[in-house]
Amino acid sequence: MKTLKLVLTLIPFCWTILMIPFVNRVKPIVLGLPFLAFWLVAGIFVAFICLSIIYKIDTKNPNQ
Amino acid sequence: MSNEFLALGIIFAFIFITTIVGMLPGMREKLNLEGWAIGGRGFGRWLSWFILAGEIYTAFAFLGASGWAYARGGPTFYILGYGALAYVVGYYLLPKISPIGKKFGLMTQPDLVQHIYDSKLLGILTAIIGVLFLLPYLQLQLTGLGIIIQTCSYGLFTKVPAMLIAFTLVAIFVYLSGLKGVASTAVIKDVVMIVAVVFFGLYLPFHFFGNVGNMFEALDAAKPGFLTLPGPTKVLDSSWVMSTLVLTSLGFYMWPHFSANSFSAKGPEVLRHNAVFLPLYQICLLFPMLIGFTALLIIPGLSNPDMSFMLMVQKVFPGWALGLVGGAGALACMIPASDLILNTSMIFTRNIYCRGFNPKADHAHQKFVARIVVFIITATALCLAIFAPNLLVNLLLVGYSGVTQFFPMIVLGLFWKKATKVASFCGLIVGEILVVYLIFNKLDPISILGFHLNAGFFALTVNMIIFVVVSFLTSSKENIARKEQRLIT
Repeated sequence: MKTLKLVLTLIPFCWTILMIPFVNRVKPIVLGLPFLAFWLVAGIFVAFICLSIIYKIDTKNPNQ
Repeated sequence: MSNEFLALGIIFAFIFITTIVGMLPGMREKLNLEGWAIGGRGFGRWLSWFILAGEIYTAFAFLGASGWAYARGGPTFYILGYGALAYVVGYYLLPKISPIGKKFGLMTQPDLVQHIYDSKLLGILTAIIGVLFLLPYLQLQLTGLGIIIQTCSYGLFTKVPAMLIAFTLVAIFVYLSGLKGVASTAVIKDVVMIVAVVFFGLYLPFHFFGNVGNMFEALDAAKPGFLTLPGPTKVLDSSWVMSTLVLTSLGFYMWPHFSANSFSAKGPEVLRHNAVFLPLYQICLLFPMLIGFTALLIIPGLSNPDMSFMLMVQKVFPGWALGLVGGAGALACMIPASDLILNTSMIFTRNIYCRGFNPKADHAHQKFVARIVVFIITATALCLAIFAPNLLVNLLLVGYSGVTQFFPMIVLGLFWKKATKVASFCGLIVGEILVVYLIFNKLDPISILGFHLNAGFFALTVNMIIFVVVSFLTSSKENIARKEQRLIT
């Protein structure tokens, strides 16, 4: 469980920070947004999903 | 009625109603100092959510984000990134702080630092640095309000007299209601503000270009490269954005007022639950950017890019609509400003005045001093806004660079038993000196081996290395044992 929590904590950081040099472009425009902006908006949802799962794990095992 | 009176009338109505609503909780019960400053530690899920969110969406989100989109293009997108990451940090950090605060009666961030390291001097130093770097952030709110009043009066008012009126109201509001008032009005502010940014953020690109995608296509065709990094700038490239994202996501909860807000929550569970849902709120930051980008195509050549949001609304809509946006914007400046003023005055009173000069002051006297300090701080920020104007985003980044230097001391102090007092002093002092030196010598961003790094990030790295090395050198068994006692709750 601890490893899973760690991975879930790191995913949003990798998505949003480490990927910057690779997503730094305008095309393709997704959902009306330049690709860079789209990627960062998607990162918000990634963080939400990861935190939701961590929260579920924590509430199942309140002592962890 | 003419446009300017209609617009200004609506703004002042907004401020007036909010002041009344903010006063209600303070009138119903007589508040003691704890109730005035941290809401009596009784905030449940939703009130706590709103106060945390309400603190985040400020004049910067409203005007600064659109201003940056207008002036800087691609690098602006960093703003979308840091919030969600900050909540991941907060998910672990705040629930750790809150029970310690409850058990040991802590109210402010310097209280926490003093408690972790058992050092009064370190607490006072933290307080002084905190107050100094809260001032540019408060100035940001005042400058934002000035811009709003200026645009809504269609040139009738200069920003100075309007700021004076509005901030007299804010000071009265803080004086009468305290944090409970800020929380209940934050709800109004958030609703009004979300409606305003989402509506105009979508309406304006649709109105001029048919949809958001077309607007971006047109912008990309007109200014190739504007929407990627480094955009029209030379230095705000990928490495700058990455280092700024690290700085701002780690520094987010280092703002002194966030400790007080986490102390105001009922318990750790409330804070964890909040952290899960707060990232979604971050999407609202996209919409002001859409307005900034649209403005660049429709009204190019603005001397103050921070005015682009208000000027776009002024161009397309009549006075009453501008008044509604101005009212929402005014609340977005005023409510965070009240919270900032409140916390700064608390920190000054408790951690500088009482700890440093008058340790015997009783609660009534502390409350009296805190309320005088409210006026002094507001006046100082007002003077800064008038005599040392700056772009909103620069004010934000200066504040961030300064407060993030607390990170090793507070976070490692909480989670790492070897952290010592001496290491905190060394790391913090070196970090702050670097920040001030780099910013005043215009070395922000700083260029190292061809990478452009955020100055605050560079200072934080040096600070962190010093902190860890010195901690290893000075840590002792008794130090670890004492620390365990203070942090286990």
